[in-house]
Amino acid sequence: MNLSTHIPIILIATPILVAALMILLRKQPGIQKVLSVAVSFAMLILSIILLSQVWSGGIQAYEVGEWGKYGIILVADLLSSGMVVLTSFVSFLALIYSLDYIEKKSLSASYYPLFSLLVAGLNGSFLTGDIFNLFVFFELLLLSSCGLVIANEQGGVTKSSDKMEATFKYLVLNMLSSIVMLIAVSSLYATTGTLNMADISVKLSAMSAAGTLPWYVFAIALMFVVVFGNKAAIFPLHYWLPDVHPTAPSPISAMLSGVLIKVGAYGMLRVFFLIFIDTLDIFKPVIMYLALATIVVGAISAVAQTDVKRLLAYSSVSQIGYVFLGISFGSIYGITAALVYLVNHAVAKSMLFLTSGGIIHHAGTRDMRKMGGMVDSAPLMSLMFLVGAMSIAGMPPLGGFIAKLSLFDAGIGEQYYFAIGIALFFAIFTLFYMFRAMLLMFWGEKRDVEKYGEYSHHGTSVLMAVPIVVLALTVVAFGIYAEPLITLANATAHQILDPQPYIDAVLVRVVR
Amino acid sequence: MNNTLLSLTIAILFGIGTFLILRRDIVRVIIGLGVLSHAVNLLIVSAGVFSGTKVPIITDDGGHGAAEATGSIFTDSLSQGILAPIIEAGHHVDYVDPLVQALVLTAIVISLATTAFILILAYRIYEEYGTTDIRELRRLWG
Repeated sequence: MNLSTHIPIILIATPILVAALMILLRKQPGIQKVLSVAVSFAMLILSIILLSQVWSGGIQAYEVGEWGKYGIILVADLLSSGMVVLTSFVSFLALIYSLDYIEKKSLSASYYPLFSLLVAGLNGSFLTGDIFNLFVFFELLLLSSCGLVIANEQGGVTKSSDKMEATFKYLVLNMLSSIVMLIAVSSLYATTGTLNMADISVKLSAMSAAGTLPWYVFAIALMFVVVFGNKAAIFPLHYWLPDVHPTAPSPISAMLSGVLIKVGAYGMLRVFFLIFIDTLDIFKPVIMYLALATIVVGAISAVAQTDVKRLLAYSSVSQIGYVFLGISFGSIYGITAALVYLVNHAVAKSMLFLTSGGIIHHAGTRDMRKMGGMVDSAPLMSLMFLVGAMSIAGMPPLGGFIAKLSLFDAGIGEQYYFAIGIALFFAIFTLFYMFRAMLLMFWGEKRDVEKYGEYSHHGTSVLMAVPIVVLALTVVAFGIYAEPLITLANATAHQILDPQPYIDAVLVRVVR
Repeated sequence: MNNTLLSLTIAILFGIGTFLILRRDIVRVIIGLGVLSHAVNLLIVSAGVFSGTKVPIITDDGGHGAAEATGSIFTDSLSQGILAPIIEAGHHVDYVDPLVQALVLTAIVISLATTAFILILAYRIYEEYGTTDIRELRRLWG
């Protein structure tokens, strides 16, 4: 048995197994700690190996149970394996961070198993080639993230009633969206008689070539816009995000904002550019205007926030709008820019959320009006927040600058002047609200806050500082040496816009 | 006739579910979600590609007899433009579509898990807020 051909299934099965083991080991926190960090690191290595295999050897299709196209197929192309690398990277660092951040009791009882399940759900939804299986992994994501939002952090900054209210909103909206997704999936099955995404794509394009594409395919495509829009929190469906992301513990906020909302962008890229290619002419403008509305609403709401994590959450809403704007251009350059933006935002926003965890533990509150003068008492956190804020705002030489530059350049090349005008105007808003937060928290007089410094050993704890510094270095590296990322994103965009190799990898070799 | 009745049932269930999730009571919202998920389960069953009454166990061994036994083509032939599974024209199929039943089982199990979670959450919300009126859950507004 050659291990390297089984990496896709290992990436999904291992976290599920580890989750079960963690529940059995809940009386031995030491073993849990070592095992979960070791497995998370091994996943990072494996995902990088998978990406390099796909980069050099082309798309990999893995048949689970060797049922051919009638069974579940895992497909690793550049998009999926790249997203898996991103997931493993962010989750490894978030896990290290949470060792010191999460309350010990909650950590061993529920945190490790749910975190593993979250990683399994993320890897699964990126790697699967079966649309019903995508639904199953979405539900795995949903339930495990709900459990993690409720997990307790040290210091008790967030009340548990707030967590419940936010989780209720999140759960109800996402259950509704998963019902919509089931309707869409079953309608697709009734139309084409298959659930394999590559197979559906072949059949729909055959119908389209024969001129018999049924009208309700457009309705199904609209339902997928709703589903992925809800996952990614684009404009009319974004109301849950600013409640859920701030109330979650900071490493979970980092996972949710960094990776989980990117699942929506991934789904949009995968489903629309593989299955619904013929409906794209109608849906590109829809996605574009939704993305613009998302940018505007997120940026304007973020300006008025006083809670640091709520500000970052609204900023996430605004930034995911930029990603969808790049997707809606539909050109190779546009998708390249969207992918570069996606990766940069994932890294920078996870870093900002981890940093905000350090900050709120230092100050004992999430209210920025009660902070101040922290540049003296928490110099590392303020430097890291500056790096992240500058990257999100798009200042050179950080990663966010390259992302915004290529996005606007792509838009101008495609002559979407109106859209680019709005996006540019609200990029200035980004700069404004990020630096307003900087000024409120780090400059000025040191305010007299009761809990100030009570948790200060957490602010400087090595286990919490190292992930933040690693992410900050990545942000700087993406800005200074962006060439590899752009090359990878460009190759990925080529693969997305030309789905034939994907279809061939899945269908041609599995005739049984 | 059967299909009309099934479609009507699905439509009525969707109506009831939508009505319930727009109520103010948390418990009614949860019941509405349950009704909606059952409506979707029925929809999945009705989405089967072929329908019949026989159990879909093909006793003819060897694998190649499957086509004769069911009237379906299970093997792709891209050069001839055949994209399996296809039922030959004019052939009546006696078997039930097994896939939709597997899908429904999965969907039921998942909705069981989410409903259990959300019921416990609703109970805890009742403990914390002292009410099940959804309009009272507004501590995060602002």
